[in-house]
Amino acid sequence: MNLLRSLARRALLPGLSVLSALILGGVGIIITDFDHLSQLGSDPLVAIGGAVSGVFNGYGAMIAGAFGDPSRIATALQTGNERDIATAIRPLTETLVAAMPLIFVGLAVAISFRAGMFNIGGDGQLILGALGATIVAIALQTSGLPSLVILVLAIAASVVAGALWGFIPGFLKARTGAHEVITTIMLNYVAAQIVLFALIGPFLRQAGSSQPISKSMTWVDVPPIVTLPAIRLDWGFVVALVMAGVVSWLLFKTTKGFELRAAGFSPTAARYAGMSAGGSMMLAMSLSGALAGMGGGFMVIGTVGQLSNDLSGGIGFNAIALALLAGLRPSGVVLAALLFGALTTGGKEMGIQTGIPFDLLFFIIALVIMFVAAPGLIRSIWRVRVKPAADVPSMAPSAPAGTV
Amino acid sequence: MTTTAAPGGEGVSATTTSARPHHEGLAARRALRNARIRGAVFLAIGVYAFYLASSAFSTPASFLFRFFNTGQERFEIATSVGLLWLVSGLASALVGGLQLWRGAAFRWRPWLFVVIAPIVVAVFGALLDGTTANFTNVLRGSLELATPLTLGAMAGILSERSGMLNIALNGKMLVGACVSVIVGSVVLRFTGNVIVSTTIAIAAAMAVSGVLGLLLAWLGIRYKVDQIIAGTVINIGALGITNFLFLRVLGRNPEFNTPPTVAAMQLPILSDLPVVGPILFSLRPYVYIALVMMVVLTYFIYRTRWGLRLRASGEKPAAAGTVGINVIRIRYQALLLAGLICGLAGSYLPLATAGSFQMDMVAGKGFIALAAMIFGAWHPIGAFGAALVFGFADSAQALLSVLGVAVPPQLLNSVPYVITIVVVAGVVGRVRGPASAGQPYEQG
Repeated sequence: MNLLRSLARRALLPGLSVLSALILGGVGIIITDFDHLSQLGSDPLVAIGGAVSGVFNGYGAMIAGAFGDPSRIATALQTGNERDIATAIRPLTETLVAAMPLIFVGLAVAISFRAGMFNIGGDGQLILGALGATIVAIALQTSGLPSLVILVLAIAASVVAGALWGFIPGFLKARTGAHEVITTIMLNYVAAQIVLFALIGPFLRQAGSSQPISKSMTWVDVPPIVTLPAIRLDWGFVVALVMAGVVSWLLFKTTKGFELRAAGFSPTAARYAGMSAGGSMMLAMSLSGALAGMGGGFMVIGTVGQLSNDLSGGIGFNAIALALLAGLRPSGVVLAALLFGALTTGGKEMGIQTGIPFDLLFFIIALVIMFVAAPGLIRSIWRVRVKPAADVPSMAPSAPAGTV
Repeated sequence: MTTTAAPGGEGVSATTTSARPHHEGLAARRALRNARIRGAVFLAIGVYAFYLASSAFSTPASFLFRFFNTGQERFEIATSVGLLWLVSGLASALVGGLQLWRGAAFRWRPWLFVVIAPIVVAVFGALLDGTTANFTNVLRGSLELATPLTLGAMAGILSERSGMLNIALNGKMLVGACVSVIVGSVVLRFTGNVIVSTTIAIAAAMAVSGVLGLLLAWLGIRYKVDQIIAGTVINIGALGITNFLFLRVLGRNPEFNTPPTVAAMQLPILSDLPVVGPILFSLRPYVYIALVMMVVLTYFIYRTRWGLRLRASGEKPAAAGTVGINVIRIRYQALLLAGLICGLAGSYLPLATAGSFQMDMVAGKGFIALAAMIFGAWHPIGAFGAALVFGFADSAQALLSVLGVAVPPQLLNSVPYVITIVVVAGVVGRVRGPASAGQPYEQG
C-alpha cells in the first residue's frame, strides 16, 4: 500500500505535466480549426462544438493508433489467423518499435544529464551512428559473412560513430568550456550535412532514387521477436531494455557512475574530492553518444532498413523531454519512452486520419519539459502539493559563467 | 571595425587579474604564455599562407565591381590567388609579430579582423579558381545576411549582460518569422497597403517574441527553471508550433503565406556614389535599423544609468541588489527588449529574403548569432564585426553554389556551423562574459 502510494506520488507530477501539455495542445488544435471557427458568427455552438470534437477525434485517433482495438485483438487471437493477428496487434508493436530508439536516446540523455551535461545532440549522434552502421553493412554486403556477424559489426560501428560524435562536445566542454548546448546543436546540423554528403555517392545511394536515401539493406536484419507479416518489432527492443539495466547498474553501482553523478551534482566538489570533472564530462558524453548511436544502428539495420537524412524525426528532442519526465532514472526512461512511443505512433495516425499535423507533438513535448522543470507551475495550476524528487540533481546544472 | 575596445573595459586579462589580486602572478604568467602561443599561431598561419601563395600565382582571381546601381558600368580588379595569399600571409605575420612583441598587453581582438578578412577573401578566390565573381553582390549580400545575426546578437548581449542566458534566440526568431508572415499576409489582403502591412507584421512579430522573452524571464526568475532548459523549451516549442501552423494553416491556405516583402531602399544622394553606393547605400532598411541599433545599444549599455545597472545585474547581482538596483526588474526589461529585437530579426527572413514562411527557416541562425555575440566579446560593435564574417561566408557560399564550384554544397553548408563551434570553443581566444549569466537571483 505504501509502495503504491509512493509510486502514485512519484507519478503525479509527471502525469499532471503530460495532461496539462495535452490540454494546451488541444487548445492549439481548436484555435487553428478555421473550418469550424469560420462559422462562429452564424452558429457559435456548432462552431465551438465542432472544433472541440476535433480535439477528441484527434486524440482518439492517437490512442487508437498507438494501442489498437482490444476487441479486435481478442477476436484475432481466437481465430488464430496470422494475418488478422498481425493487423490487430500492429499498432501496439509499432508503439514498441517507436519506443526502441527513444529508450536508447533517452538513456543517452539521462546519463549525460546525470553528469551535468545537457546533451541535445541526440539527433546528430543517432544519425551518425546509423551512418556508421550503414557503411559497414553495405561494405560487407558481398563479403559472404553470415548476416548475424555483419549485424554485430554494424552495431559496433554505430556505437563507435555515435561515441565519437558525443566525445567532441564533451572534450570541448572539458577543455575550453564551450557550452554543450550550442556545440551539440551545431553538430546536429553538421551531422545532417555529413549524412547528405555520404548519400551522394553510388556506394550508399539507392540506385535510381532521386531522394537521398541509401540502399535497403535486405541482406542483414535484426532478428524479429515474433515472426508475423508486417510486424517490425525485433530484438533491438530487448537490447534497449538490457541497456537500461546496464545504465542503471553503471550509474548507481559502480565507482565510475558515482564519479559521473558527483560531477553532475557539483563539479567543484568532485574536483576537490580528487575526481576528474573533465574526464567525467568526456566519458559521459561518449557513453551518451554511444547509446544514441546504437539506437540509430538498430533503427537503420532493423526497423527502418535504410538510411535517410530524416531518419531521426526529432527523437533527440523527445528524448530530452522523456528523460526529464523520468527523473533521469533508467527505469523511468523505459516507461516514459513507451508513453512517447505511443504518442509518436498515435500522432502519426492522428495526422493521417484527422489531418492534425504530427508536429503538434513537439509543441506538447516542449510544454512537458516546461512543466516538469517548473514543478511550481504545475502545483499552482492544479493546486496540489507535491514534493519535487529529491534524488535528482537540479535537472541540468547551471552553466558555468561566461561560456554562453 | 577598428576598435572593439569599449569604454566599459573589455581588457580580458586586465579584468580577470585585478579581480583576484592573490592570483596575480599566476594569471600574468598564464596570460603571457597564451599571448606567446597566440603569436606563434598567427605566425604559423602567415607561413602557411606564404606556402599556399607560392603555388597559386598562376591562378587568376578577378573581382568585378559595379559603379552604379543603374547602368552597366563596371570594373574589374584582376589579381591572382597567389597575391591574395601573399597579402594574407603578410597580415597574419604582422599581427603575429605585434603579438609577440607586445606580449600580454596586446589588444589582439580587433586585429583578428585584419588576419581573418584577407584569408577569407583568398579562400574565396581559390574556390572561384579563375571564375570572375561579382564582388559588389557578394559584399551587399554579406551586409544583408549579417543583419539577422547582428540583431540576434544584440538580443543576446542585452539578456546576457543582465545575467540571463538566452539560448532561446533561435526559437524566438522562428516564431517572429511565422507571426510576421501570417499577420502581414492578412493585413495586406485587407488593406492592400504594403507599408502599413509590413509595419504591422513586424510589430506583431516583435510583440509575440517579446512575450516569449518575458516567458523565458518568468520561468527563469519566478520558477528558477534552469535558463538553459527554459530556452530549450522555447526552442522546441517554437519549432513544433510553427511547423504545426505551417502544415495546418499556411500550407493549405496560401493566402496566409503571401506576406508583403521589404525591398532594397535607395538612400538619397549616397546611393549614387560610385562603387560604394551599390554596396553600402542601397540595402534593405533592416540593415540600417540594425546599424542604428548597434550604435544606440552601445550608448545605452556603456553610457547610461540603465546600462550601468544592466551590467551590474549581470556581473554581481548581489552587490547590485544591495545598492538598491531592482535586479529582477532589470532582467525582465532586458529580456523583453531582447525578445522584441528577436522578433525583428525573425521577420527579416521571410519578409526580406524568402518571401514566405518555410518550416525551420531560421536553421540555427539564433545559435550562430550567439556565436557572433561571444566572438564580439559581448559588445555590440564587436558582435557586428563577427556577424559580418558569418555574413560574408554565407554570401560567398551562395555565389559559389550558383557558380557550381567543385566543392560539395554539403561541405559549404556546414561551414557556418563548424565556425560557430570553433568560436564557442574559444579556439580563437577565450573571452570573459558577464560573470553571473545563468545564475538565478534571489531578491532579499
